[in-house]
Amino acid sequence: MRWLGIGLVIASLTGCASTGVAPWERDVLAKPEMQLDAQPLDVAFDDHIYFSKEASSGGRGFGGGGCGCN
Amino acid sequence: MAAKDRRIGVALAAATCTLLGSGKAAPAQAADDVNAWDFETALLYYGENDSRVRDISLSALAKRLFEDEKHLDLSLSVDTLTGASPSGAIATGSVQTFTSPSGREVYSTPANEIPLDDTFLDTRVAVSAHWTQSFARLYTGSAGASFSTEYDYTHIGADLALSRDFKQRNTTVSAAVAFSQDDIDPVGGAPQALSQMLDVGDLTNRGGSQSKDVLDVLIGMTQVINRTTLLRINYSFSDSSGYLTDPYKFLSVVDPISGDTLARSPPPGTQGPDGLYRFENRPDSRTKHGLFLEGKHAFGSKVLDLSYRYMTDDWEIDSHTLDARLRWPLGSFGYVEPHVRYYSQTAADFYRVNLTAAEPLPQFVSADSRLGDFDAITVGVKFGREMRHGAEWSARIELYQQNANVPDALLIGNQFGRERSLDLNAIIAQISYRFGL
Repeated sequence: MRWLGIGLVIASLTGCASTGVAPWERDVLAKPEMQLDAQPLDVAFDDHIYFSKEASSGGRGFGGGGCGCN
Repeated sequence: MAAKDRRIGVALAAATCTLLGSGKAAPAQAADDVNAWDFETALLYYGENDSRVRDISLSALAKRLFEDEKHLDLSLSVDTLTGASPSGAIATGSVQTFTSPSGREVYSTPANEIPLDDTFLDTRVAVSAHWTQSFARLYTGSAGASFSTEYDYTHIGADLALSRDFKQRNTTVSAAVAFSQDDIDPVGGAPQALSQMLDVGDLTNRGGSQSKDVLDVLIGMTQVINRTTLLRINYSFSDSSGYLTDPYKFLSVVDPISGDTLARSPPPGTQGPDGLYRFENRPDSRTKHGLFLEGKHAFGSKVLDLSYRYMTDDWEIDSHTLDARLRWPLGSFGYVEPHVRYYSQTAADFYRVNLTAAEPLPQFVSADSRLGDFDAITVGVKFGREMRHGAEWSARIELYQQNANVPDALLIGNQFGRERSLDLNAIIAQISYRFGL
């Protein structure tokens, strides 16, 4: 059931003809704050902290790991 | 238009690729100037209540852009950790004495307090390097390596990532794989699984160094929804094998009726534990699956970042993480960004509060509170101010609080009247400076 849900999300993202923009409509998307990796050091620090204090890690990237803190 | 489109497409691909590949992406303000360097530096303080763990970390990311959108990303991080962390033993009505991890001395915990091991002190240095380039017009590839070392732990890893753009670069599909090999060389040697804590100078239950391998696979997709909305979905798989036990964690062995830790006396003239404690043991493999969803939406000049992560593993730990950030411009003063994060996890199937003297030893058991059932919340705010030539100062402060849920079913006798768990309150403070050369 879980994987069916994931499949539906992916299908809805890729299958909908109305998604996406033309090249000349990317003014907002081009802003630095709209980038998915806008705050790399914050993300890296957070991954490291939460990897050390919680049982789950990663997801966004390979985040965390590489230390003896967990 | 075409150049701008291509730049955005590459930025999207690189964002996904780099995040997939390393978890430490390059500075966001990619310089348009070829052969220029971009730097992002930060100083982080992490401090827990009651003088527990403290971490001061200095990190730097450097990015150099070459011709044809190739770039090199380097990172360096240095951590200094001190403080005390819960050992896994329970509180009792009297002073408790333990042998330190080195096996050379003892330390004590006052009555009615949850024992903390205060011998924790370490410095960690971590470096990584990644090369990213686009090829065949719509593809972006990345390869990297990472290394870290601390007193009792060494990590070496490598990763590869590939992404392809579709539909006028509105869709980016990525796949990445990482492998790491870590060596663990615990202070005093790794204790034999479930063995009893011994007296000072007796290292007969200690072994040599240990190792573990971790394979990670990530498959992701980024989709532009409209002019102001972007979505990302990642599936992650992680397989760890080898020594996954924490060599410094142990459990109290208690009377099955009273719930009090069984007493013992070191031989005359010898220092050692005054109770019965056994070192934990975890399975030697762990498989995790994760689903990560993130959306970014611009409301005028404000930007909302929402994400959700679900993770599940074969230790029966399920977790949910919700994260929200809202970047709110303050005109020429810069911006403010409130942040809220909620996390909740279930306990590992081998998590226990203690062992009882009446039972046969289980195959796997741990009292590490990080494997228990708990909720956590983070609340914080960040301020940023842009300077000339694209440089930016920022500072953030956050409060992190964990609330453990120790069910009655795990407790025995007198344990009901004592402290069950240590709630965790921590401050995260960070200042950052980003600049180009």
